[in-house]
This record gives sequence, C-alpha cells and structure tokens, in this order.
Amino acid sequence: MNLDHFGMDTITLAGPLEAKLAAVREARFTQIMLNATDIVGHPGGEAAAITAVKASGLRVTGFQVLRDFEGLEGRLHAYKVDVAKAMLEMCRALGSRVLLVCSSASPHASGDAERLVRDLRKLAMLAVPYDIRIAYEALSWGRHINEYPQAWEIVQRAERHNLGLALDSFHILATGTSLETLEELEPPKIFLVQLSDFLWQETRSPQDRMETARHSRVFPGEGVHSEKVIELARALDEMGYRGDYSFEVFNDDYRQLPLPVVCERARRSVKWITARVGRWSLPARRRA
Amino acid sequence: MSVKEELPEPSNPLGIDGLEFVEYATSQAQAFGALLQNMGFAAVARHRSREVMLYRQGPMNLIVNAHEAKSSMPTLSAFALRVRDAAYAHQHALELGAWDMPTRASAMELNIPGIHGVADTLIYFVDRYRDFSIYDVDFVPLAGTDARPSALAGLHWFGIVQSILGDRTADWLDFYQNLFGFSILPRGQYFGVLPKGTLLESPCHKFYLQLIEPPPGSEDIRWEEGLVRIGLGAPDIPAAVKALRQRAIVFVDRGAVQPSEKGALTQPYLGGVTFELVHSHLQP
Repeated sequence: MNLDHFGMDTITLAGPLEAKLAAVREARFTQIMLNATDIVGHPGGEAAAITAVKASGLRVTGFQVLRDFEGLEGRLHAYKVDVAKAMLEMCRALGSRVLLVCSSASPHASGDAERLVRDLRKLAMLAVPYDIRIAYEALSWGRHINEYPQAWEIVQRAERHNLGLALDSFHILATGTSLETLEELEPPKIFLVQLSDFLWQETRSPQDRMETARHSRVFPGEGVHSEKVIELARALDEMGYRGDYSFEVFNDDYRQLPLPVVCERARRSVKWITARVGRWSLPARRRA
Repeated sequence: MSVKEELPEPSNPLGIDGLEFVEYATSQAQAFGALLQNMGFAAVARHRSREVMLYRQGPMNLIVNAHEAKSSMPTLSAFALRVRDAAYAHQHALELGAWDMPTRASAMELNIPGIHGVADTLIYFVDRYRDFSIYDVDFVPLAGTDARPSALAGLHWFGIVQSILGDRTADWLDFYQNLFGFSILPRGQYFGVLPKGTLLESPCHKFYLQLIEPPPGSEDIRWEEGLVRIGLGAPDIPAAVKALRQRAIVFVDRGAVQPSEKGALTQPYLGGVTFELVHSHLQP
C-alpha cells in the first residue's frame, strides 16, 4: 500500500475543476474520483471538462454517481435507463473504468431481489461495450439494500463479470455493520473502496446518516471510528484486495478551505493508514 | 409454419438461424470489390440511392458500404443475424441492456432493427430471409449477372473474429451468452490455423465468434476492440487455397500460419483486411 493506491475525490474540494485537478496533482496523488457535476457544470461545457481531466495526467478512479436505478418499473425504469446511459457515456469519455451506483433510496423502488438482479444485469450489459465496471454500493439509507452483505448477495445473484461492489467505510460505520462478512467477499469483485470517517459516535436515523454523509465526513485518522476504519483497511489488504482506495469525504468546512490545505489533510490520512495497515501486513518478525 | 416453430427454444431464445450478411465500410469500394471478386464473391446488386453494393457467393451475402465511410481500409462494420422475429429479437436485446443502434445508421434504408456491437459496429436482426429478402426493395439487381452465384470450393460463413482488450473475455462472454444464447467451446477446441482466444458457438450451431485478447508481450502494440476479419469455411482447404491462388489471392506461408488442411490466412490487403479459411464441418 502506498500513495498510488489512494485517490482524492473532487467532491471534497471547492472551486473549478482545473483547480481541483491541479491541487490533487501537486499533492502528488495520481488518481481522482470524479463527480458528474464536475463535468456538466463546467463553464466551458462537457468537452472542456473532459479535456481538463485528460490533460491533468491523473487516472480516473471512477465516476459518480448513479442513484435510485434499480427496482423501478414502467416509465420510471425507462427514465432511469436513459439517465444511466448518459452517465455511462460520460464515464467512457472521461476514461473512467468504474461507474459508482448507489443502492436505491427511492420510495418507488421494489425490494424484490429478482427485480434488483434484473436491473443491475441490464446496467452491467449496457456497460460491457464501453469497458466499464459497475460498482454497486449499499447506501446506509438505501430503501431495501443498505448494508454491504445485502449488496454482495445481489451482486452474486446477478453473476455478471463487470458488476461488483463498492465499499464505503462511512456507510459501514453508520449502520454499524459487522466486518465479519468481508471474509465472504471475493477481492476481484470489489471494484472500489471509499474511505472516510466522521466525528460523532452514532447516526441514529437514515436522515441523520444522510446529513452526516453529505456534510460532515472527515478523512480517516481525523474521526472517532479510527480503529474500525483501520480494521476495514487491514481486512481488505489481508484478503488480497489490491484495488483503489478513494477518500469519499463530503465536508462543508473543507469546501471553504484552500485546496492545498485540504489536500495536505488527505496526504496525512494516507500516511496514517499506510503506517498502520502496511505494518500490520508484514509477516511477524522471527526472533533470533 | 407449425405452432412448434413459433416457440423459441430455451437455448436459442431469439431463434437465431445463421448469418444473413456481413457489412464492410470502406472508401475504396471499387478496389475492395475487385478483391472480393478474387475471393469468389460476385457483385449482384446496387443500392438505389446510396453507394452500397451487395456481393454474394453461395449462401453468403456481403455488403460493401462506401456511404460516409471514414476509413479507406475495408473494416467490418456490422453483421446481421437471421432470427425468427426481428422485432422481438430487437426488443428482447434492448430489455436485457443492449444499446439501440443510432437512427439512420443502417447501410440500407430498410427498417432493419439493430443494436450496438463491439466498438462502432452494429448487429442487425433479419427475419426476412426465406421467401423474400431484405435486398428486394432497396437494391437494384445488376444487369447480366447471376443473382445466385455459386460458391468457390464450397465456401460458406464460418465465423467472425473479434479483438478485445485484455481481461475482457468474461465481459464479452456475458454479452454474447446473455443477449443471444451463444455458448463457449471448451478451451483447446479450435479450428483453423490461428488457435487462440475464446471460441463461442451460435445457438443455431451454424457459425462461431472468436474473441482474441492481446497476446502476452504486446503491451507496446496499439490494440483496439473491433471486428477483425471473417472466417470462411470450406470442406477441403487445400482445394480452396488452390482455387483462390489461381485467382491471385496470396496466403501467409510463414511460421505457424501456413496453409494446411486445417486452414489458411490471406495476406493483408488494402491496408489490412484479411480473410481466414477454416476447415469446416458446417453444412451451409
């Protein structure tokens, strides 16, 4: 594990896309997670945003986020398929190989596993020609799928090579989900790991989780669940996960701080994690 | 038609019944046409309004599309599957997550439904191939030509070779298995002189797709996904090679790729187009 395994996420930083890309590069990160609003909200238009990303030399960790996709019927389903297609096209244009898909929070979504499987298979099929992998994440306020073991169950049932899991430490911490099921996951089916923490012990309601998730996350090492974040990273490392770690830190304060200050906090977080996970991964030293 | 024929078999949900045509795009339509004639194809019809020609040889239809062609090198741009019901096949594919083809992307002005295949290619669905054909309306037969030229040395469609990026075999298996019902042949079961990649058999057992990932050590080669070439089946490869050589077709005869009883590969023509001959058990 080293700096190259970690990426920042544009949602953590304020300002124009070019400034975010430059700050992340100057902090010597090599990858970045992009949000659709970075692209469509660019004053020069979508093409200018894509050019900026390519010119930055940063690898795109993934593209986010497709919401409330699965479990819908009729016109709602058709509408979401159109949204998904547009996002896949942007994802491809950016050179991102991962599209992040959050489990549905829609009150209109069915929880019938067959339907969820059917819809995620369809999304995975749409992604095949574009060489994009669908990373399905259990949102902690998801209507039916809100913990990673449930998302893993759906991914397994769908049986599509380009459909896997995104794990987000925030959601795991917020629902207090046990890490025991991690052992059942297949490392190649984990397409993305997002790390963050927060500053209070509990999020009691889905509303509480949503508020915290969207405004008050902090980098690993800055919050109050440090041990569990490290436990997660260690478990993933030991089970052989060698994919990307992205800092999914939504934080209103960080969005009003200078970019180098926030990037420096991200770098400190990388050091904090690698010092603990790296050391733990080494074989125990034999006594002479 | 009996009731039984109307019911799709579980292993062949679309009632796929072979390849109706393959389509090449090229801005060198005349030079490519001359090459096709050397390969045994004959021009049989011209599109009424576009620069599109229909070539035929035995059971094979081949379309050369120069209308808005981007590249001079003849490039495989589409293939058409014979299916029981084209509208059903199209809808079924869309419901499973295929991308609908862009409006007016069709070579012909016919209403042939289609979906996106690999890269910029299309996969069409054709159900009119028995009593009357899709070519009857928009193509004008060439005067003085045999509309049904016989095949040279029993040539027929054997398959299509598709290049794919590294670690993409499983993705494309998902695509062809789930959309169309193709099945994977056991590793080690190969045909022809280019034994590599992964072979998929059509649910009608009438043709194959070969998926080729970049070979090891080819990191510096620019490798893109696309349809690479067609494979032509023949019952007797040496006889087919001899017949084609007499028509000035040159075969690669170096290293492992030498004409043999198993198959043969032509040299690249017109910037890179090749044809593969494969010893075939298929009945055209």
